[in-house]
Amino acid sequence: MCGVQKLTMPHILKVYGLRLAVWCALSAAGCVLLARMELTQLREAFETDARISHRLLSQRAVQHEAVLATLALLQPAAPQSDADPAERRLSSVYPQILAVQRRDPASAWPSASLDEAEKTSRQTRTAAIADLDFKGTGGRYQLVLAAQPASYALLIDVHGTIPWNEWSMPVQSSLVRVTLESAGQTFVIQPGRLGEHGWRYEFRKPLASVSQPFEVVALRQVGWQELPWGLFALWTMAAGATLVAWSAWRRQRSERRRAEELLRVGQVARLNTLGELAAGMAHELNQPLTAILANTQAAKRLLQDDPEELPTALQAMDQAVAQAHRAAAVLGRLRRTVERPHRLQLPGESVDLEQAVRSALYLLEPECKRLAITSVVHTAQPTQVLAERIALEQIVHNLLTNALQALSGVRANERQLDIHIKAEQDMGVLRVTDTGPGISSDTLPHVFEPFFTTREGGLGLGLSLCETLASGMGGQLRAQANLPRGAVFILTLPLAPCP
Amino acid sequence: MSATLSPLIHLIDDDEAVRASLALLIGTVGLRVQTWADPQEFMRSFDRQGVGAIVLDVRMPGTSGLTVLDALIDQGVDQPVIMLTGHGTVELCRRAFKAGATEFLEKPVDDEVLLEALQNAVRQHVHSRERHQADRQAHERYAQLSDREREVLGLIVEGLTNKEIGRALGLSPRTVETHRANLFAKLQVESLAHLIRHYATLAAQEDRQAPPSR
Repeated sequence: MCGVQKLTMPHILKVYGLRLAVWCALSAAGCVLLARMELTQLREAFETDARISHRLLSQRAVQHEAVLATLALLQPAAPQSDADPAERRLSSVYPQILAVQRRDPASAWPSASLDEAEKTSRQTRTAAIADLDFKGTGGRYQLVLAAQPASYALLIDVHGTIPWNEWSMPVQSSLVRVTLESAGQTFVIQPGRLGEHGWRYEFRKPLASVSQPFEVVALRQVGWQELPWGLFALWTMAAGATLVAWSAWRRQRSERRRAEELLRVGQVARLNTLGELAAGMAHELNQPLTAILANTQAAKRLLQDDPEELPTALQAMDQAVAQAHRAAAVLGRLRRTVERPHRLQLPGESVDLEQAVRSALYLLEPECKRLAITSVVHTAQPTQVLAERIALEQIVHNLLTNALQALSGVRANERQLDIHIKAEQDMGVLRVTDTGPGISSDTLPHVFEPFFTTREGGLGLGLSLCETLASGMGGQLRAQANLPRGAVFILTLPLAPCP
Repeated sequence: MSATLSPLIHLIDDDEAVRASLALLIGTVGLRVQTWADPQEFMRSFDRQGVGAIVLDVRMPGTSGLTVLDALIDQGVDQPVIMLTGHGTVELCRRAFKAGATEFLEKPVDDEVLLEALQNAVRQHVHSRERHQADRQAHERYAQLSDREREVLGLIVEGLTNKEIGRALGLSPRTVETHRANLFAKLQVESLAHLIRHYATLAAQEDRQAPPSR
C-alpha cells in the first residue's frame, strides 16, 4: 500500500521549509557576525601598523632637523678637501644622509633651488626642502637650514630613512600600501597589494615635522577571499547539526506524548463503552425491578385485605417471578456482551514483559524525572507472556502511573520504584513495588471494585479495568501491602508457549 | 356525576410488565386504573373531564414523558401529573417540576410512596373540581336573578336591613321582603350566613362589573 514517498522539491519545501528557512537565517546571521568581527580585527591591525609607520617616519624627520640644527650650532670647520671626516662620519651614523653641504658666507650654493630653500629657511627659521622631486631623484630630497655664518644642506634618501628593523610589516609580502605624499608627489615605501573588491581602509597623517610636510598614507584593501570562510562553513554546519538535534528531540517528545495519548484514549474509550453499558443496563434492569417491587407489594396488600384475594395475589407473585427471570436474563446478556468480546478480541501474542515495562517507563520518563525517581527493573529471566500487546501496555502503564502517584506523596529520598519480572511455573509474573503511603488493610479488598477510588477526582475505574483486562487474557491482577511500607501490584499472565 | 366522582388513574408506560404490576398495585387501594402503552394514543383519547391523576414514564420510545407533560399543560389539562423515571437526575427533576409535574418519583418505586402520592393528587384534583363545580352552579343560579334582585342582594351583602334597602332603592319594606324571599329561593340558600358565604364574592364582582345606576 504505502510506496516510497517521492522526495520532490515542493515536497521537501513543504516538510522541511520552515527548518530550512531557520537554518538559512541562522547561518546568515552567524556569518555576518563572524565577518564583522574579522573585519574589525583586520582594521585594528591595519591602524596599528599605520600608526607605527607614521611614528617611525616622524621620528626620522625630526632627527634630520636635529642634525641640521646641530651642524648650524657647532659650525664645524670648513672642509680642507671634499672628504670631510666629520661629514663622512655623519653619513656612517645616519645612512639616509647621503651628503652634507655647507655654504660659507662668501660662497654660493651649487644650485638655485638651494638658494631658494635657504631664503625660505631664513624666513621661517626652520629647515626647508629644496627641489622636491621624488620621481626624478629616486626618492631623495635636500633639506636646507639657514644659519650664521655657514648654512647647511642635507641630501636625504627617503628609502634609507626607514628603520626596517623596527618596521612592523613585511615589506615585500604585506598587503598594506604605505606611501609618503607631498604636493602631488608620491614615494612608495611599501607597495602592498590592493585588490578591487571588498573593503578599503585608509590612514592619512602628516609627519610630525614642520620642515618636512610629507603625509604618511597607508591603504589596505580587504578582499572577499580574506573573509573567514572556514569559520563560516563550521558555523553553518554547527547550526545545521543543532537544528537537526533539536527537531529530533522534539519529534521524540511528541512521539512520546502521542503514544501516551493513545493509551489514555484507549482507556477512555473503554470507559465510555463501560459507561454506556452501565446506563443501558440501569434502564434494562430498572423495568423488571419496578415490576417485581410493584407486584410483590401488591400481593402483600392483597393478602392483608379482608377477605384476602388469593388468586390475584398469586397472579402478582407469578408476575414477580417472571420479572425476576427477566432481570436475570438482562444480566446474562450483558455478561455475554461484556465478556465474550474480551476473550475473543484479546488474541494472545508473544509479548516480552520487560519490553512492555520499558516502553511504559519510556512514556513516563518525564514524570519519573520530575519526581526524581529512578526505577529499577529486575529481570530474573526473559519472560514472554501470551497477551494482547495494547492491553498489557495499558495495564503496565496504569500500574506504573499509580505507583508514581503514590510515590509523589512521600519524601523524595524515600521514593523507590522496583519492578520484578520472572517466570513461575507456567505463568509470567510482574511485580510493581512502590514505597508510597501504601493501601490500608480495609481498603485493600476494594481496590479492584469499579468506581472505588481514594484519589480526589479519580474515577475509580483504572484498576478495575486493568483487572478485567488481565482476567480477559487469562491472567490475574492482585494487590498487597509492601513491607515496611508501600504497595505491591502483581500481574500474572500465562507464559507464551515456546516456539 | 358519579363517573366524575370515581377517580380514574391514567398510567402511561411502554413496558407491559411495569404497566400491569403498577395497575395491580394501584388497584389494591380501590382506585380505577386505565393503562396506556402509547403516549400518542393516550393524548388522543383519554377523558379530559374525568377526575383522577396521570402517571407518566419519562423514558419511552418515540415520545419522551417530558414532551407529553408539556403537551398536557399546554392543553390546559387539570389532572395532576406524576412523573416516573428510571434514572432521575437533578436536571431532569428540575425540568419536570418546571413544566408543571406534581410529583417526581424514581423507579423502582415503593408502594407507599406511589400510592400516597396518587391519593394526594386525586384528593387535590377532586377538591379543585368540586370547587370549580360549586362556582359554576353559583354562577348559574346568580344568572337567574332579576336586576332588582341583584341590587337587593348587593345591599344585603353590604349588611343593610330591609328598611334601609327600601329607603335606598325607593321601595317599600314589604316589596324588599318579597325580593328577598325570591332571591333566597332562586339561589337555593336557607340562611343569611349561607347566602353570604356562597354569593358575597360573586355579588361584589358583579357590582364592580356593572355598577347599578341609581
